[in-house]
Amino acid sequence: MTLAALAERWWRRVAIAPGTALPQRRLFLLPTRFGLGWALLFLLLLLFGINYQNTLAYVLAFWLFGLGVVALLRAWRNLLGITPTLRLPHEVFAGGEARLGVALAGGRPRTALELHAGDASARIDLPEGQGEAILALPAPVRGEQRLPLLRLETRWPLGVVRALAWLESDERLLVYPRPQYDDEPEHRHAGEGLEATDFAGLRRAQPGDSPARLAWKQWSRTGVLAAKAFSLPPRQQLWLDYDACRGDPERRLSLLCARVLAHHLAGDRYGLRLPGGTLPQGEGPHQRRQALAALARFSPAGERGAER
Amino acid sequence: MKRRMTGSVGSEAVLADGQTLSGAMLRQLFFGQCLVLALHLAWMPTWLAAIALLVAGYRYLQLRRRLRRAGVLLRLVGVGALTGGLWLHYGTLGQMEAMIGLLLGVYLLKLLETHTRRDGRVVVAIGLVATTVAFLHDQGIPMAAGGLVVLAWLVHSLVWLSGGDPRRAWRESAWLLLLSAPLMLMLFAVFPRLGPLWNLPQADRASTGLTDEIAPGDIAQLSRSDARAFRASFDGLEPAPAERYWRVYTLSDFDGERWRRTTPERLAATLGRPLGEFVVEGRRSPWLDGEPRFETELLLEPDSRPWRPSLGAPLATDESLRFLADGTLEGTSPLASRSLLRTSSSGRAPANPDPAGPAWHAMLPAESNPRTRELAERLWRESGGEPRAFLAAVMARFGEAPFRYTLSPPRLTSANRVDEFLFESRAGYCTHYASALAVMSRAAGLPSRVVAGFLGGERHPDGHFTIRDYDAHAWVEVWLDGAWQRIDPTAAIAPERIEEGPQAVGDGREAFLADAPFSPLRMREVGWVNRLRLDWERMEYRWQRGVIGYQREARNALMARVTARLHALWDWLVGLVPGRGWLGGMLGLLTAAGAAAGLAGLLRLVWRHHREGRDEALRIHRLQNWLARRGLGPWPGESPSAHLRRVAVDAGDAGPALRDCAHHLERLRYASMDQKERRERTRQLSRRVAEVRSRLRRRLRRLPRREGGGAGAGGVAS
Repeated sequence: MTLAALAERWWRRVAIAPGTALPQRRLFLLPTRFGLGWALLFLLLLLFGINYQNTLAYVLAFWLFGLGVVALLRAWRNLLGITPTLRLPHEVFAGGEARLGVALAGGRPRTALELHAGDASARIDLPEGQGEAILALPAPVRGEQRLPLLRLETRWPLGVVRALAWLESDERLLVYPRPQYDDEPEHRHAGEGLEATDFAGLRRAQPGDSPARLAWKQWSRTGVLAAKAFSLPPRQQLWLDYDACRGDPERRLSLLCARVLAHHLAGDRYGLRLPGGTLPQGEGPHQRRQALAALARFSPAGERGAER
Repeated sequence: MKRRMTGSVGSEAVLADGQTLSGAMLRQLFFGQCLVLALHLAWMPTWLAAIALLVAGYRYLQLRRRLRRAGVLLRLVGVGALTGGLWLHYGTLGQMEAMIGLLLGVYLLKLLETHTRRDGRVVVAIGLVATTVAFLHDQGIPMAAGGLVVLAWLVHSLVWLSGGDPRRAWRESAWLLLLSAPLMLMLFAVFPRLGPLWNLPQADRASTGLTDEIAPGDIAQLSRSDARAFRASFDGLEPAPAERYWRVYTLSDFDGERWRRTTPERLAATLGRPLGEFVVEGRRSPWLDGEPRFETELLLEPDSRPWRPSLGAPLATDESLRFLADGTLEGTSPLASRSLLRTSSSGRAPANPDPAGPAWHAMLPAESNPRTRELAERLWRESGGEPRAFLAAVMARFGEAPFRYTLSPPRLTSANRVDEFLFESRAGYCTHYASALAVMSRAAGLPSRVVAGFLGGERHPDGHFTIRDYDAHAWVEVWLDGAWQRIDPTAAIAPERIEEGPQAVGDGREAFLADAPFSPLRMREVGWVNRLRLDWERMEYRWQRGVIGYQREARNALMARVTARLHALWDWLVGLVPGRGWLGGMLGLLTAAGAAAGLAGLLRLVWRHHREGRDEALRIHRLQNWLARRGLGPWPGESPSAHLRRVAVDAGDAGPALRDCAHHLERLRYASMDQKERRERTRQLSRRVAEVRSRLRRRLRRLPRREGGGAGAGGVAS
């Protein structure tokens, strides 16, 4: 086991769960590089005072020492007792980013708090004792994922010491497949009746709309991105079938994902057939959520599919 | 498009990219530099301020996108110009001042390459070093106050660099400084004072006060200056005005025009004798002993010469110094900063013969000042070869009408200056008269020397004396009756100089303080100005003595006093306790009451523990409360065991323990059992309760707290 992994294991052991006030035992103080420099500075001034028998240099050196100690306590106090709560992102598609909201409540004003998760970081001040920071976590792959270990830290007030605490949540982040709009004709037929022909008007564009359906002309005229909606003369009864798609499993899932989004937008009734499970036909946001979740949770070996 | 990059609007330390320092922050750093520079500027070349302005101007233009970031070339040019300038200014870079200048210059130039938070912190750290270096120049009250302002500003810069807005940063800086001040004071008092660990380059000091060679005319230069030479206070006896003769140098080498000091090294080389006969290093004078008359504490100003004044001949000091055979003192090195010195001295001219011998002290150049010699020989004959009568005759002559005492005498230019003074100008001050008297004594064959030092000093209301440059004086010592005798010709002609100082001399007073046109000493007659000046000087003296002089001895004395106080306090307490008088009784009663309260508290704890062990209902009730605090409380009307069972469903590995608790509770309540079984079951119950707590605690830590408080686990149970 590498050192980093060992460290991470230890951090997870000392991490707090969201919703608990940060206790003293889970709060750590580490000197920063500038803090080590500060210690050197203190020694330098002390030597200066000794060698030149200079009283004011003594005073300044001791004051720097005192400032270091007090900064330690102030940094500790700045972090102590903060209650973090997590707000999971509404929906995340692979390849995008998960905007994780971390609400911090501190009771008293706090300054210059930093949140880190991997490479993502955010800074926040809590002048009224509470606030919310948004961490943009990268979500490269689909599936049910653990939230990364979050680090809450502060270098306030002098930057000589870093107070830090780890935050771990049991909640899972469900990352939907990256939607892939494929307009190769051989796949078109997979969703029969997709070709709605009757133009029914414009509606506000949403992420995931097919570029072919976006009303570019209106956009250039008005600056509002709209999508063309087509009505399907009879309500289509659609089955989106895994086996009808081509390519490797991830690609198929991406295509299905895009279709789910498209059919949802078109207001279709659709069902999902995956190896190992079937989602009955349905419509509306609930259906959409269930379909996307099924796609996100699907494992190609086929043991787990759609739940119902 | 006018885009404002400098940040009078923004209050963030960094720009939106989270890295680059904002204009407001740079301005903050620049003001910090200006403050640090202000501490130095009285001692350093003024063109350093120009560097600061140039660098700030460059950064300003750069932030407004008119210039590019300073490249390596520009920075190198900057450093090169700085070094060149310093070299031109000082002629060398090895000197202390040049090194300080280098530090300051680099500190100012650093702003050119200050872009990130880290750079900003480095600038602040260099600023702190530069502030400390400023204390080498001076450690007075103004410097200390300036240092405090700089420290506050720099701390504010650091806090602001860490985040937040400037207003909040000011509040935080104030807290930091306030909270750390007691710690600083404690460390300052307790930290052991060490001697210098190694030698460092010292700043050069202009010589103030006396030089070691005088010609008639020199000391009048000193009367033009109000610079402070040293300060003194006395333990016990204070000298009367006519006794305040501070000896510094003896001048025994006369070339016809000037009197020169002969150092022990020169004497030893000239006379071909070992150095040890002329100077000995130590804490006690090897030449003299006897009862010291004055115990003096001197606060010496820094000086490039190692002279140390003493009231009469020095007998002992509190640090190792060079005791010269002529009854003067010398330090082993020049004083780079103010320092304290305690001496005890005789108050009189030394009684020991000078090892250089009487002949050395009766030498005169053969052809110089013929008229003076002639006069001396005539007076010697008239006094019948009696030294005292001869000296009295000379002094009487000085006291006669044509001689006058003036601070601005006519210049003497001839080779025979003493002749010119005695027979032509007949106007002069201490140097002229001392020089003439010494020449005449020597001409009469009496060993004599001129002593350069100070006479008088201003006595402050609190008892300390300030001796200034204008108090410089010269007088004569003549070897008579087996001891050196102090003879001051000034006393004969201008007794007011002895009693009241040079400001009392009416003649030529335009020369007095001529070089110090704004000196507050000129306002002696204006009552409130003088009071203000005296108050300030008293405060300054206390500051210097107390804080600056807080070195080894002072600290050790303070620590000894503190421990002694603590001991006394302890003894006092011990003396009180065993029923001595009503106070002791009260104290004893209080102690007993405190002990009883403590015991009662302890008993209560033990009893509670005991009861808990017995009363399973209470135990379970506590557990329920504990669960309720974690959002798993009982529903209204739910029995304890039902509650525990309900919670157990969703409690993971704590489930079995919870069910056991419910089971034991029911058994204990309703089943008939004997005493032994009951005890056994109670013990099991309490073990289970503990288990529930530890397991649930671990589990809850991993789970986020559910919404909805009391019905926490209900989602599963329903």
